[in-house]
Amino acid sequence: MPRPDWAPESIDIERPSVARMYDYYLGGSHNFAVDRAAAQAMIAAVPEAPLMAQANRAFLRRAVQFLIDSGVRQFLDIGSGIPTVGNVHEIAQQAAPDARVVYIDVDPVAVAHSRQILAGNERATVLQEDLRNPARILDRPDVRKLLDFDKPIAVMIVAVLHFVPDSDDPSGIIATLRDALAPGSYLVLSQASDDGRRADERQEAEHVYQRTDNPLNVRSRAELTRLFDGFELIEPGLVWVPQWRPDSPESAEDAERAVFIGGVGRLGG
Amino acid sequence: MEWDGSVADEGDGSPAPLATIGSTATIGQSRTSRGERPGVAAFARAWAKAVSGTSYLPMTPAQLEAFLGALTTRLAGALQTEPFSLRAGQQVGADLVAAHIASAEGLGRTLEMIDLRLLRDLDLSGTDLPDRMARLLGAVAAGYARALRDRTLDEQETIRRAAMVAREQAELALRESEARFRHQATHDPLTDLPNRTLFTERLSAALDRPGSEPRRLGLCFVDLDGFKMINDTLGHQVGDLLLISVADRLRRSVGDHLVARLGGDEFVILIEETSCTDDALKVADAALAAIGTMAVVDGHELTVSASIGIVERAVIGTTPSELMRAADITLHWAKSSGKGRWALFDPEHNERELTRYALSAAMPGALDRREFYVDYQPLVSLQTGALLGVEALVRWRHPGLGVLGPDQFIGLAEETGLIVRLGSWVLAEACRQAREWLHLNPDAPFVSVNLAVRQVHDPGLVDEVTALLEQTGLPPHRLQLEITESALMSAADQPVYALRRLADLGIRIAIDDFGTGYSNLSYLRSLPVGELKVAGSFVSGLRTASDSASRTDERILAALVSLAHTLELTVTAEGVETARQAERLRAIGCEAAQGWHFGRPGPSAQIAALLG
Repeated sequence: MPRPDWAPESIDIERPSVARMYDYYLGGSHNFAVDRAAAQAMIAAVPEAPLMAQANRAFLRRAVQFLIDSGVRQFLDIGSGIPTVGNVHEIAQQAAPDARVVYIDVDPVAVAHSRQILAGNERATVLQEDLRNPARILDRPDVRKLLDFDKPIAVMIVAVLHFVPDSDDPSGIIATLRDALAPGSYLVLSQASDDGRRADERQEAEHVYQRTDNPLNVRSRAELTRLFDGFELIEPGLVWVPQWRPDSPESAEDAERAVFIGGVGRLGG
Repeated sequence: MEWDGSVADEGDGSPAPLATIGSTATIGQSRTSRGERPGVAAFARAWAKAVSGTSYLPMTPAQLEAFLGALTTRLAGALQTEPFSLRAGQQVGADLVAAHIASAEGLGRTLEMIDLRLLRDLDLSGTDLPDRMARLLGAVAAGYARALRDRTLDEQETIRRAAMVAREQAELALRESEARFRHQATHDPLTDLPNRTLFTERLSAALDRPGSEPRRLGLCFVDLDGFKMINDTLGHQVGDLLLISVADRLRRSVGDHLVARLGGDEFVILIEETSCTDDALKVADAALAAIGTMAVVDGHELTVSASIGIVERAVIGTTPSELMRAADITLHWAKSSGKGRWALFDPEHNERELTRYALSAAMPGALDRREFYVDYQPLVSLQTGALLGVEALVRWRHPGLGVLGPDQFIGLAEETGLIVRLGSWVLAEACRQAREWLHLNPDAPFVSVNLAVRQVHDPGLVDEVTALLEQTGLPPHRLQLEITESALMSAADQPVYALRRLADLGIRIAIDDFGTGYSNLSYLRSLPVGELKVAGSFVSGLRTASDSASRTDERILAALVSLAHTLELTVTAEGVETARQAERLRAIGCEAAQGWHFGRPGPSAQIAALLG
């Protein structure tokens, strides 16, 4: 009997997961041998990989803090991965207990893990869905239950868009999400960039991620700028993530080593 | 909280650090009002720089420095407290891990910083300090390693559990989707009734179910009457809605029995564990009643009927395909006996049908193998007793069934259309034979051959007969063609035209079995008919003189003969079996007769013998 196309995929923990590799870069142990092996191969190719992940996580922290300070109380974090140390709800709800967070990830293990962590938290939830189906994400009843689309929402697409190839129309995905948002909403975006990288490093990194379900698609700053179409970029614009509103001038040093470019845009009106 | 409010007060205005650090025995010593001990801030800043980047730290650099400043104070306190306690150092190690400074590099750099700079930066001194420092480093490393191991194990456990949960959910979802797929694969999408696949499974299971009791079951094959017309006149959409409505009514009318849609307007009901045939008949009655109720479909008031074929029998010795075939055949009986009713499978009826089917299938080959032959029965003058003619009667010498008479296969040949070929062969054979007799005796009898309806309607008939007479050299008046009244019932002109041309050639035309059909007089007047053959059923009445029924038959016969004579037709009586009958017929004025009294049908040699 052939498997119908709407049947879910089985869970294959014999394949490295980008979510668990990311956890390994951050120093976590929410990963399996196969994830560690892939992550170590990545580190061999691009030694800054753990630094990249940490810098990106720090960007996330600062961005959420900025949004809370700006009055945003709703967060839609797409591609949230393994929500361990310093995730959105921790940062947001610490600062504003009424903050609401919906996590979305395509990785069923990451989703199951998130569910364990979020058990008992009525203002945060997690759903398994693919960033490439924004309309489905927006239609999910749990999303609508927790988030009020008549009020500003921060959509976080952090360290995940490089897993979406151009053929899946990233700007169309973002446009679909944008069209559902109220004025005063935000887009937080970061992704791996090849600006200033050597071609061989890029190829090796792409080679490592071929093993996962999510091959890598690095993008230039110019390409990423276009994804903010309709949003007004907040100072300092689209920069290497350590340069985005750093905690101290030193923490922005050698920023291009972080590989990730990120920024925050505000929907006008 | 490990921190007190002063951390936030002295920080950059950010909220307190996020991590909740385990309660410790050193809270009293951890007041971090800066300036309490000179050098703490400088050491903490250097320490913070050393551990930055060893793992992800979810706090600002200022928060990190404040946190490490508090630990610095505790470390200094531990070095100076009497008696020396390992616990303070171990707790600092554990607190580092809890604050996510949790990596091998984080530990290495921490130990390095403490050993290199703590005494110097805090300006500590004492004779036993090197010894205390060694023990403190050991305690921090031990506390750190233990906490890191516990954290690693905890994290491994949570991710394994998550993987397990995810797998269970995926399997559950797969099972649900398989169940959905299974439902789709086994149900009809229009009516949501079980489909043929599920029905076949259930039927097989019902037959295979083990049990000591002799079990029975029933099947009702249901087919709507005239459904095609509803589809054609009201459209497929209305047709589909009607099917849904019928399915609904069927489902409700038959209780727990399985109702399946086999396709189109065909449904089947499986009645398991019947105790007798009546159980199945009750279900069929309920189904007919349910289908027959009026339904409003898309604004149309529709009343449909259905026909049902029922099979009810012992489970033992039957198979699903046998049952299905039997029910299907029976459905056709119900249809052909008028629709809107059920028919019950009857093995004998089926056997007859099978025989008929086998015969009709074997007939073309039999004709090729010359299994047919012709017998001849005398037609005798009632006035002189002379042999006037013979009727050609086809026989089939069947290899398995012996000799079969025309009543056993002519009907089948008419159904299949083989009658045209068979009739032609008989006609040719009879003409050839009649010509042979003419060689023996110039007064040899004419030959009378039956023409089937289809032959009469065949446009090639006249040419065929003409060619035959030419080939055989038989004079036309030596051939008589017998046709039934039904051959002339159609409105078509063609048969009448053909008969005229045949009569014009000099061929004799007789109406066979006169008196049993409509006995229409108008064509007798207008057609080139020369003779009426009166059916044997009238003749068989002429048995006893005293019988009043017999007298009635005789009067009818007399009237027929008188009528024929009025129309200038001669009359031959069929089925004459006794001398008395022959006598009465002669008295009435009937010209000729055939029947056992005058000679049974026999081979051509028997006729030849009479001519010798």
